[in-house]
Amino acid sequence: MMRLTQQEADPIGGITAAPIVVIGAALAVGSAVALTWVHRGEVVSPLAAIIAILLVAAAGVVAAISAAPSRAPFTAERLWIVVTLAVGAAIAEYTSTVGANRYLYDDFGPVVIGMLILSVAPYCTWVSLALAGVLASIVLSILVVGASSYVAADAPVGALVAVNAAPVVALSAAAAGYAHAIIAETLGWQREANRAALQRDTELRAGIARSVQQSRVSVLGREVLPFLAGVMTAERISVAEADRARELAEELRRALRAGLESTWLDDLATSLRLARGIETFVDDPSGAADLLADDQRSALTALITWLAEPSRSERVGVSLRTDLDGGRIVISAVPAERPPAKRDLDRFIAVARAVSLGAESVSTRENVRVELRYVID
Amino acid sequence: MSLGLPGHLARDSLSRALAFAGHCAAFACLAIMIVVSIIVATVGDQPAGWTGAALATVMALAFGAVALFPSVTLTVLALVVGTGVTIAFTMLVMEPGGFESTNNALLALPRIALLLVGGAGSGSLIAIVWASLGYALGEAAAFLGVALVGGAYAPSTAAAAAFGILLVVRIFDGVSRRSDPRQETGLHRASQQTRELAIRHDYELRATARLHDTALSHLIAIAAAGSGTVDDRLRAGIRQDLGLIVGRDWAIDHAGQATASDRGGLRRAAAVDESAPNGAAGKGRFGRRGVVGGATRSRTVPVPAEPRPDGATMLAQAFAAAANAGLDVRVTGDPDILHVLGPGRAEALDAAVAQCLINVARHAGVDEAELALGLGGGEVTIAVMDSGVGFDEREVPDDRIGLRTSIRARIDQQDGTVRLWSTKGIGTTIVLTVPEGGA
Repeated sequence: MMRLTQQEADPIGGITAAPIVVIGAALAVGSAVALTWVHRGEVVSPLAAIIAILLVAAAGVVAAISAAPSRAPFTAERLWIVVTLAVGAAIAEYTSTVGANRYLYDDFGPVVIGMLILSVAPYCTWVSLALAGVLASIVLSILVVGASSYVAADAPVGALVAVNAAPVVALSAAAAGYAHAIIAETLGWQREANRAALQRDTELRAGIARSVQQSRVSVLGREVLPFLAGVMTAERISVAEADRARELAEELRRALRAGLESTWLDDLATSLRLARGIETFVDDPSGAADLLADDQRSALTALITWLAEPSRSERVGVSLRTDLDGGRIVISAVPAERPPAKRDLDRFIAVARAVSLGAESVSTRENVRVELRYVID
Repeated sequence: MSLGLPGHLARDSLSRALAFAGHCAAFACLAIMIVVSIIVATVGDQPAGWTGAALATVMALAFGAVALFPSVTLTVLALVVGTGVTIAFTMLVMEPGGFESTNNALLALPRIALLLVGGAGSGSLIAIVWASLGYALGEAAAFLGVALVGGAYAPSTAAAAAFGILLVVRIFDGVSRRSDPRQETGLHRASQQTRELAIRHDYELRATARLHDTALSHLIAIAAAGSGTVDDRLRAGIRQDLGLIVGRDWAIDHAGQATASDRGGLRRAAAVDESAPNGAAGKGRFGRRGVVGGATRSRTVPVPAEPRPDGATMLAQAFAAAANAGLDVRVTGDPDILHVLGPGRAEALDAAVAQCLINVARHAGVDEAELALGLGGGEVTIAVMDSGVGFDEREVPDDRIGLRTSIRARIDQQDGTVRLWSTKGIGTTIVLTVPEGGA
């Protein structure tokens, strides 16, 4: 739980949150500019002030780009780049007003760092967010100690340090709290859902046991059994019966072979073909679909089901190839009149990445191609 | 395992998580209030600091109650307490000669905490209502407090900024759920569907395999016998198996064992059957019929298959089965001793050993087995040993054809013997012995 981010536990939540990072970054830059203007009288080095604002902008851009669904997952390093740039901005701001900083209250450093940390909360573990807050506060505190000799307020340095760090502490506490709570909520639900799924599996087994009677094997079984019963009670075997026995034996072999060579993925394709009339093909010579973990299967199923929508695609092909330490799944679709939008595809790509599938997509007018790679542990 | 949050739960979950985030920030503000107050009281030597710390503690307690039990009553109570604390704290801080106005970092703390009260209910709108109330009360408290001690009131920039951030987050949360990408992506549905597909596939395969195991040999026998009177032994064999098939719901048999790895095992094991049409399923049945009918040893096996040329690699089926099942086999002794057997007998022994190895791979829970071959006293002996989970032979269901027919019957048919020792938890040893020569 300490190692999980919302993006990993709830990939769609991570994608949904992407715009808030842009908003947060924009607000951070806005705050930096506004507060610099407010304390323009204290600025002794305009260059440092400009650098400070540029660093905030850089931190914001890094945060916004890193959180884009197409670049999922958001790695821990990205948080540290953002925080380092923001702390750099705070240092530059300190330099810009060094010796003339009468009020700490109008410094943007703490609030900008806090806002950026809060913005990326959906993409980081609560521990790393809290740690980022603590480390940033420590750096800020050193700056405050430096500035304390000439601020207007007549207060103990400790009090100044604490008050000055308040924005970072409060905002990173909010960030860590959010990350912790959303993971707890998600995992709690997943436990519940898994319990329900197990329950449902049991019911499904009973249901399927009955419905298998409708399947190919049952039809075959229903032919084989009376045939055998007939032979058993008959006096003689006719030539036709001998031929029929050979046929049935062949069919039985074929059915078993087909059953062994196909996987759940073939069944998915069959059901999509029947239900939606979309040509859906699976090419999986080694049965690699069975090697995928449950979550990976869900992600793949979601993507294929979404693509195999009559308005979206005319044809969907899935091909699986394995090599020594993993495999490659290529999903290609021929777009229909309402082709899959890149934005929507990115959502699935992000989901795939959240379940440790390397994912890339290429879309052209003629073809939408998504490539997933997985590694076998 | 299910992925992410489903659409219908996302609203409440996100709302609770955001409220919790607000509480964390509020407690951070109150904690800083306490720390600063204590520093002022101790280092700054101003006893009023103790009062400030006490006030912040009271407010923190009230907020803790809301965080734990978010009811309307407690929220209102926390707002009232918070407002009172803010008034008192403002009176403490705004002593003459101190801050120029109420817009300062210290007085922002209780006001920010107040607007982050969170409160009862879930959803963006209600959260915004509580926050607005907290924000307004905070400002009013500062106004009142400063009016009581004399000083300049100014709205807190920091509290306004905090209120702004809260509005942005809550409005964003409310708006972003409108488009509902969760529904659109259908992950939850996909997860259910995948499970169902896997279970269904598993059942189909089991059903097919069982039908294959039970019926195929009879069909082949009928086909091979061609037209003519029905052989009594064939009749008896079908009767026996028919009772098995008809009398039970074969599709759900062994349902308890249905797992993914089991499926894999089935895939590999059955692939062996396929690759060796002369092997397990086909001949096993005849072997059994031989036992049932008795005195059938002169009868040749009527399965049309490529005859194994004499002198072919010995135990080829067994090694292929082991390789297919991913089983490591250590061999002691020379497989070439099987040359002392007739081709049919060598093949029967080979198939029986193959079945033993398949059983190890399927049931023993280990991935290695030991094979010992020996020739002596006019007999060829092969021992198949594993240190797997072991079993009690009496507990093996009658219909499990592996041991009873594929192994025992084959060897019986060759005038051989099968001896088996198995202890649960220790392992299994099967010793197959057939006399030299034979067909």
